[in-house]
Amino acid sequence: MQYVVVGLGGQGILFSSKVLGHIALGRGMHVLGSEVHGMAQRGGSVVSHFKVGNYLSPLVRSGDADILLAFDQNEAFRNLQFLKKGGQAVLNVHAPEALDNAHLRRFCDSRNLRLCAIPGYDILREHMGGRFLFLNVLILGAMCGAGVSDIPMEQMRHAVAELSPEKFREANCRVLELGYGHFTA
Amino acid sequence: MRGVVGVRKREILLGNEAIARGVVEAGCEVASAYPGTPSSEILPAIARFADELGTKTAVEWAVNEKVAFEVAAAAAFAGKRSCAVMKQVGLNVAADALMSVAYFELAGGFLVVVADDPGPHSSQTEQDSRAFAHFAKIPCFDPATAEEARDMVAVAYDLSEKYHMPVMLRPTGRVDHARQDVELREIAAPERPARFTKDVRRWVCLPAHVRLNHPQLNAKNDAIREEFETSFDAFTYEVPAKEKAKLGIVASGVSFAIVSDLLAAWGRTDVALLKIGTPVPLPVRRVESFLARHEKVLLLEETYPVIEEQLRDRTKVLGRWNGAVPREGELLPEVIAGIVARALGEPLPEAVDPSLKAALEELQVKPRPPMLCPGCPHRASFFAIRKAVPNGIYPSDIGCYTLGVNQKMVDSVICMGASVTQPSGFHLAYRVDGKEQPIVATIGDSTFFHMGIPGLVNAVYNRHAFVLAILDNSITAMTGGQPNPAVGEKLRKGDPGRAVDIAGVVRGCGVSFVRTVEAYDIPTGIDVVKEAWEHARREKEPAVVLFRHPCMLLRCEQAKVPVRVDQEKCVGCRFCINFFNCPALRFDEEKKKAFVDDRFCVACGVCREVCPHGAIVPIREEE
Ligand SMILES: Cc1ncc(C[n+]2csc(CCOP(=O)(O)OP(=O)(O)O)c2C)c(N)n1
Ligand code: SF4
Ligand code: SF4
Repeated sequence: MQYVVVGLGGQGILFSSKVLGHIALGRGMHVLGSEVHGMAQRGGSVVSHFKVGNYLSPLVRSGDADILLAFDQNEAFRNLQFLKKGGQAVLNVHAPEALDNAHLRRFCDSRNLRLCAIPGYDILREHMGGRFLFLNVLILGAMCGAGVSDIPMEQMRHAVAELSPEKFREANCRVLELGYGHFTA
Repeated sequence: MRGVVGVRKREILLGNEAIARGVVEAGCEVASAYPGTPSSEILPAIARFADELGTKTAVEWAVNEKVAFEVAAAAAFAGKRSCAVMKQVGLNVAADALMSVAYFELAGGFLVVVADDPGPHSSQTEQDSRAFAHFAKIPCFDPATAEEARDMVAVAYDLSEKYHMPVMLRPTGRVDHARQDVELREIAAPERPARFTKDVRRWVCLPAHVRLNHPQLNAKNDAIREEFETSFDAFTYEVPAKEKAKLGIVASGVSFAIVSDLLAAWGRTDVALLKIGTPVPLPVRRVESFLARHEKVLLLEETYPVIEEQLRDRTKVLGRWNGAVPREGELLPEVIAGIVARALGEPLPEAVDPSLKAALEELQVKPRPPMLCPGCPHRASFFAIRKAVPNGIYPSDIGCYTLGVNQKMVDSVICMGASVTQPSGFHLAYRVDGKEQPIVATIGDSTFFHMGIPGLVNAVYNRHAFVLAILDNSITAMTGGQPNPAVGEKLRKGDPGRAVDIAGVVRGCGVSFVRTVEAYDIPTGIDVVKEAWEHARREKEPAVVLFRHPCMLLRCEQAKVPVRVDQEKCVGCRFCINFFNCPALRFDEEKKKAFVDDRFCVACGVCREVCPHGAIVPIREEE
């Protein structure tokens, strides 16, 4: 299973691969990924890779990813070429009308891609007083809710609770359910 | 093997943590480093594992890489296992010491970890430190994965002790920042007592001694090369093809990992691999034998042709000398896929899909360049400097503040410390023409300690007129937030440091105009910089302004001042976007007005000072 997680520096995208890694290791699988540190973290585009299984290289090759998790819709579009045919994406959207772009739809149809959009900023404005640092758990919840990955929600709940710092545990778990509920409710 | 006493569970580690784990497991007792992407996480992880495993290891941030290298080297003179850690350009700073120490007959094991940055993602060069190892005539290991990097550390220490010389581990960023499950081991090596045996012949690099040591260094290289030829099979080995090989590939570092995954994904069983984990000195016979057995051999290594250039006959090699492999840039999976496909005579993998390209164009989606954080104090300092000295030349330096380039406040950058020396050159260039040119240079606190001080002394001594603004945010921010001498914190528990006062150092260098301002206070900043430039030109000497405010990474409590752009007052001139450049100040192309984007705004309130039309206003409680 190969994931690509994209967003902007400072959005806290590393936490999601940490959770995914924890779950995979718990299932006795090998995990391997690649993170971004340094200059690009200062608000620029960041891409992190994550692979579960027997691999040597931490990088996902363009066209090989099963799942794309995107904290920003523009970063999602820029990185759609990572997805293999039939791949799936969960993306946080702030301007959903872009999804209607004809070229974009043609591209997704030609590759049979499934895009699951969640208005993360709106949800966090409404429920979390605009604390957008919770995007990472929101997206993980959405990933389970939309049935994008084979990780059962129960396992996700455990992993998030276990890896969250004490201070954020309760809020993280709450936001995880918001993401899940967006697709299941 | 290596006296490993126990095996613990597997844990997911960052490559740099795996390296640190190896360093502590190998019994390193003195570790010194200067931060730099992609190496920065190694030293803090050494401190963490040392705390966890209860070792006495001294773990310290040095003020620069030369200092780190020399501190670690001398600990090895005294018989300790030591290590120095840095990024590739750091080795340029430490090069003087490296070249010299290579000739020494060390007492303890000395590991030099130098992280390279193909791409580059966060560096001013794309240099290959293996070439530096070759230049210094010291052996170098090139890990393909995080786990292998950890394993190489122990072996490198043994080699260092056997030959009494420094040994380099050269990970690239993809190994440093890989995250993978790694098996943890216990501490293997016993502690070595500190014992410095006086011996002028050994420890004083007089020319007479060098004449004796150089042949000895050459002999060590021959012996190590022979060892790499015949053993070290865990790191340098062949992966034969399952059928008759159509192509041979020699690969080193992460390129080996990438090409292995690629061949597996393509299901190719007709390609043979020779993995090189010991590129310097190159086991030439191993490569020549592989060459002899294959019709064509592709050579993949990052970033310089270090293996390639050690070969005597390259006629069969598809490499950099004949353009088969690009001479610059990172060998990403997509790049390697193209190179291998071409070498195999297969169709090239598809490029970016035309409809996706069209969509990105229509939606105006571009990669987002890095920017200073919302609320970053540097942004305010740059704005004040521009207002105070609008017609200046603005040399700058390396750190987050290099991103002041977005505010048109960074005109030239060379390497760390050069913000203090370039003004001298600019000043002299204009002065010899009988002209006066205002110059305001910017440097960070960590960079000032790193290499800023000699330039400042030089400018005082030679009477160069310019303003040096030291942007003190109480942290080494660009590299992730390490403490520095201005902060005074150290890495190991129960090992307090002492803060060094920047203003005091500046005065000690002979600067008479030294003023400190709160970076968020733009009006005062403007006044002080004006005054500083007046002083500098009048007295013909450098003047220093210290801008202080903590970096956002430190999450210090500060007043929240939510703001909005008054849509009536905004005239759409984009002044705030062009010269203040906060990610939270955006421009609505339809309305032709600026607005505050709540997704990014941290309510620092600094931008209220910025709009010439007074359109950026605080949101009052009742609104
Ligand atoms: C010789 C060398 N060593 C290390 C680095 C990596 N590096 C880039 S910026 C920087 C420090 C910046 O800290 P500071 O000057 O305090 O500025 P800030 O990022 O906090 O604004 C370092 C260590 C480098 N570029 N060159
Ligand atoms: S990390 Fe600190 S110094 Fe760097 S841009 Fe952000 S606030 Fe500024
Ligand atoms: S208050 Fe102004 S300067 Fe501060 S983060 Fe918000 S928009 Fe940027």
